[in-house]
Amino acid sequence: MSAERLLDDNVLLEELRKGSPEAVETLFDRFHGKIFGLAMSILKNESDAEEAAQDVFLTVFQKAHTFKGNSALYSWIYRICVNACLMRLRGKRRQETVSIEEFMPVFTEDGMHTNRVEDWSKEVERKMLDKELGKVIKKFTDELSEKYRVVFVLSDVEGMSNEETAQILGLTVPAVKSRLHRARLFLREQLSRYLQEGKTA
Amino acid sequence: MNCKELVYLLGEYLDGSMEEHLRKDLDSHIAMCDSCTNFLNTYDKTRVICRQVQLSEIPEEFRERLRSFVVAKAKEHHQGIEKYRRMAAEEQRRQVEELLRAFREGRLSSSLSLLFDTHRDRCETCGEFLRAQNGGVVPETIPPNIEEHLAEFLEAIPAGEEPFRT
Repeated sequence: MSAERLLDDNVLLEELRKGSPEAVETLFDRFHGKIFGLAMSILKNESDAEEAAQDVFLTVFQKAHTFKGNSALYSWIYRICVNACLMRLRGKRRQETVSIEEFMPVFTEDGMHTNRVEDWSKEVERKMLDKELGKVIKKFTDELSEKYRVVFVLSDVEGMSNEETAQILGLTVPAVKSRLHRARLFLREQLSRYLQEGKTA
Repeated sequence: MNCKELVYLLGEYLDGSMEEHLRKDLDSHIAMCDSCTNFLNTYDKTRVICRQVQLSEIPEEFRERLRSFVVAKAKEHHQGIEKYRRMAAEEQRRQVEELLRAFREGRLSSSLSLLFDTHRDRCETCGEFLRAQNGGVVPETIPPNIEEHLAEFLEAIPAGEEPFRT
């Protein structure tokens, strides 16, 4: 079995079913980073993410024979991962998250912006390479409740299409779009306030 | 079109899935509203910079522990499956051997006997093999394709009747 052939999802799965140790290694190398990262973004705790990652691999071994190749392997695995994480969250007390409503735009009765909106897009471009900004954004995304965070991570961080995200999460495409929109509105507002504070401080 | 409606429709405006007449409405609102121009720019920029958020990296120690776990479990899982397969294969062989023994010793039930005789006379795969059994010859081994075929034959027998007397 050449390593190259294992790049083909169906071959990889076929070899896994046969119990090939090489296929196990390939699967691990290809997916463990993404699985852990995704689990971290949902669970926000390293040991929970580790346990979730273990669950994911076990599920993949147990269900390898059910993978039909209708969807891409990574989206099948992401789905398993999201499910494993949500199962874990269910058993826990809800983490405190900031209320998204407080960060939605506010309008006057006739639908105009209540306060003037400032344009900080150029300013933030200059700060792009700033490590501080990266940390701040990460903190803001962590404040999103998982309902929005999972959609945001899959679509805007992982760059999946709305259709793929919908498939992974078992949501409709309009539901994905609407959650994503609210997550972005939240982050936009958080960034605005952060940059504004920076100016007044 | 007002600011509130614009904010509501921003996602579709930016991903290009918006209908042309709506887009024109939005464009003309944006052209005369500073706040909305700024809102659009910052919303779009938020999308762009958030792409640079990196997923948490797995710490080295976690990686190696996870790797050992995965490799060990994969092996365990596979051994479990192999064991099950061997058991299933042994079970199939035993059933086919019993069927053949009952056939040689004339213990098949009357309906199965009828079916089996027809099978012996017609089947290209196992006809010859079965005719030799009729002469009372006990085969040293059962060729795999014949075993497979006879297993299928057994499975196709309707439930409710014992196929042969033990």
